[in-house]
Amino acid sequence: MTSPQRGTLNTLEYHVLLALADGTLYGYALKEAIERESGAAVAPRAGSLYRVLARMLTRGFIEEVEPDESAAPHPGLDRKYYGLTPEGREMLRLEAGRLREAAALAEHRLGIADPGP
Amino acid sequence: MTGDRSTRTRTLFALLLKAFPPDFREAFGAGMLEQMLVDFGRAREAGRGHAAIFVVTTAVDVVRSGIQERLRPTWPAWKSEIQGSPSKAQRRPRMTGTLESCRKDLVHAARNLVRAPGFTVVSVLTLGLSLGAGTAIFSVVDTVLLDPLPFGDSGRLVYIGATGPGSDLPDEFDVSAEFLIQYREESGLLEDVAAYNSFTNTLRTEDRTERVRMSMPTVSLFETLGVEPILGRLPTEEDDGRAALISHGLWTTWFGADSSVVGRSYYMGGESRTIVGVMGPDFWFPRDDVLLWIPQVLRIEDVTPGRFGMPLVGRVTAEATPGVLAAELTRLALRLPERFGGSPNYERFIRENHRAVVRPLEKELLGDIAGPLWVLLGAMGIVLLIACANVANLFIVRAERRQRALAVHTALGAGRAQLVRSLMAEPLVVALLAGGLAVALARAGVPALLGAAPADVPRLGDVAITPATLFVTLGASVLCALLCGLFPAIRASAPDLGRLREAGRGATRGRRWSRDALVVAQTSLALVLLIGSALLVRSFQELRSVDPGYDTEDLFTFQFAPDQDRLSDGPSWAAFHLDFMDRLRALPGVEQVGIVENVPLDEGLSSGRYLAEETAAGREPALLRYTFSGGDYFDAMGIDLLRGRTFTAADHVSQLGNVVLSASAAELLWPGQDPLGRRIRNRDWGPGWETVVGVVEDVLQYGYRGTPEPMIYYPLVRHDPNPFPLSSPGYVVKSTRAETIAPDVRALVRQAAPEAPMYRAYTMESLEARSMLQLSFTMLTLGIASVLALVLGAVGLFGVLSYVVADRTGEIGVRMALGARASEVRRMVVVQGGGVVLVGIVIGIGVAAATTRALDSLLFGVGTVDVSIFAGMATTMLLVGLLASYLPARRASAVDPVRSLKAE
Repeated sequence: MTSPQRGTLNTLEYHVLLALADGTLYGYALKEAIERESGAAVAPRAGSLYRVLARMLTRGFIEEVEPDESAAPHPGLDRKYYGLTPEGREMLRLEAGRLREAAALAEHRLGIADPGP
Repeated sequence: MTGDRSTRTRTLFALLLKAFPPDFREAFGAGMLEQMLVDFGRAREAGRGHAAIFVVTTAVDVVRSGIQERLRPTWPAWKSEIQGSPSKAQRRPRMTGTLESCRKDLVHAARNLVRAPGFTVVSVLTLGLSLGAGTAIFSVVDTVLLDPLPFGDSGRLVYIGATGPGSDLPDEFDVSAEFLIQYREESGLLEDVAAYNSFTNTLRTEDRTERVRMSMPTVSLFETLGVEPILGRLPTEEDDGRAALISHGLWTTWFGADSSVVGRSYYMGGESRTIVGVMGPDFWFPRDDVLLWIPQVLRIEDVTPGRFGMPLVGRVTAEATPGVLAAELTRLALRLPERFGGSPNYERFIRENHRAVVRPLEKELLGDIAGPLWVLLGAMGIVLLIACANVANLFIVRAERRQRALAVHTALGAGRAQLVRSLMAEPLVVALLAGGLAVALARAGVPALLGAAPADVPRLGDVAITPATLFVTLGASVLCALLCGLFPAIRASAPDLGRLREAGRGATRGRRWSRDALVVAQTSLALVLLIGSALLVRSFQELRSVDPGYDTEDLFTFQFAPDQDRLSDGPSWAAFHLDFMDRLRALPGVEQVGIVENVPLDEGLSSGRYLAEETAAGREPALLRYTFSGGDYFDAMGIDLLRGRTFTAADHVSQLGNVVLSASAAELLWPGQDPLGRRIRNRDWGPGWETVVGVVEDVLQYGYRGTPEPMIYYPLVRHDPNPFPLSSPGYVVKSTRAETIAPDVRALVRQAAPEAPMYRAYTMESLEARSMLQLSFTMLTLGIASVLALVLGAVGLFGVLSYVVADRTGEIGVRMALGARASEVRRMVVVQGGGVVLVGIVIGIGVAAATTRALDSLLFGVGTVDVSIFAGMATTMLLVGLLASYLPARRASAVDPVRSLKAE
């Protein structure tokens, strides 16, 4: 019943899915991964990040999961771990495709030679 | 120092988080706090300036996000539970979690409802009014019909009567003493059987004298019913007629619940009798106003076969059904003439015509009122359904406003059951509020309802809002919530991904259909009620236009029974009443005064077999009702004299043996001939012949529904030297002061017979109203229900069309921009509304045709399927429907094309 909608991710949402595609993460680790992977271009504050997390959870793109066994114990902190759902993975794939097309178009217009076959 | 500062920072951040809704905080607060604290630590390491900038930007971000979250939630309340953290779920038992989330749903719903006061008030009022009416009627039904009779194992109690198809006897009548004896001795299916009756007579104690209702059953009655007194003992055969049981009501009101009353003797039912026991507060039989029972022994030697008029109550063995018992009793009755004798006609009746009638006692005691009460309860159910449809409609509209958000939730994994539950919370809160309102309304309304109800309904005085009623109202409220909410909730939670793309505007065909279906249901149900009440109104009109043969205006009637020791023979009894009539005539404003054994519409008359002098031997004597009349009875009542004369003073004192017949009696005895001067006698009353001196108009003794029964009027003294029954006559006083004359009459009665209380004091108009009370009560209540239904139906239609118009504003704008005229737009909307209403009307007519049969016993002069009424009410419904469509249509035609297109 759920075929994910195309092309409705903003940058932060994209980076949330991108970071989680590499494995489950808890909140702060996710934030660090996003900063790292975006080259610090995306550095979400707590309020923005968690609203996006809430939205992604509500839309079913990510889900709360049990932490890996390898996760460091964190006494006193009620850490929640998030993982990508199949829908989220599909969404990320679609978005990546869209970005690739957009990037290809940009490179074409900028005259950057398409290596081509 | 550092610890202090970090605590302060922590407090500050925690405070900032308050910008978010609690549910959001609960789900993500810890993570957000961790992020803020860790980043703050890093910023501090980079310098105080960095730290300050971090705090400011974070504060701006968190507060802004929090406000956004409150305005456009990404995380609805229910989500916290659905996606509750696994660790949490482990800590809390699952059930508590569900209950907790239900509580949250309800609190959330209550908050939402407070935020929409208009919606809430309209829904609660709509449901509350209808539920209240239903609760009030149910409280009556519960007490009168559902409470089992206050007898042991009452399901095995039956009424036993008789019918005689092919004879001239009434359709159904009570049996006579020999039946009781025969049944009691011979029946294998009856465990016990007893005779009963009830009548009014004088009860006199040390300080009080009144006419009260009492009963002279056979001694076996109490064992048959399976009841015991709460004080004293049951009477035995040895007590025969000398002992009495009194009701709990009499015990408390007359005797102050004094237990020493047992063993004392009082004057009751014509002689002094000893109270041997007090019945319990629940006991009543055969009517709830019977205050005492004087058990009698029935002796074979006292039996005269064929003296019908003795109702029987029997207790059947566990395996007997009414049909089987009736067959056995019919068979047993065949041996009656052989054992008890009786006339050849009696023998022929038993042999050829008699059939035993057996039905549950409950039906016999509650029979008449049960039908109308069930009809009313049904009507209230219909009103409630219509109200539910209205409120459901409101909820559908409300749910559609939240459609987009809901569609997102549904499409992306929220459990449908969870969604439905959270959507059901609002209807549930509304319905429970309505239930509370309903109970309050019913509490206030029940006394008014009882005031309007027929007084002969048993146990009306006991009607109250019982726990059972509360329970049923609660159940009905929950049912309402389901009806109002489940449909919209399921619709709204159904996967509809199209909603994601659209901006949530524009009703799809499916939703239009569901709203139309509600209007169709409302229209058809309202029409059923309209038709039902119109049938009753027509019946009432027809009944009012019946000519009963007498007037009811300016007539006051009453009875009193002077001590019979003073008036032991016919002539002295007649003289007393002739004298008293003169005294009454002397009262100011009194025009005429007459007496009769029992006033029409008040009490019934006895009947006897009459032979005309010319009647051929062997022919069945005619069955006539007999009564006596004196004074100006015929004139005062406006009963027209058709031939001959009425009685003169000489007839009343001189035993001339003259009688007056009613027109139908004359026709029955001497068809097509002049009855004047002809002679007639009662078959069972000895050899004296009476001479017919006059013929008067027929009267309806038993209410306007019946046909006139042939009657013979005697003067106050008969030709026969035996005194007349010496019963207490009914007086009729013709006076323009009929409404106010009672105190004057009572004073006169006290003078003439201090020992005899005046009773059964009514105006003829109130008797007339009473005789129609069951119809008028049902008519009134059903009328209110149908008006309520009509208004609710119209409001529902108006609401739906208004919404449709608002929904189609864009489309209408385009049409008008393309040149459609306002009148065309109006017509389009009205036609749409009218079409839906028409479907409802067609269905309503069908349902009405199938269900008006339930009213059959109340209808008079009109069939259950009366074409003119069906057509008239359908037209009314259509007009109301068109009117309800016209108002939104006008709004539609006022759409400004430019504005509506811009809005697109």
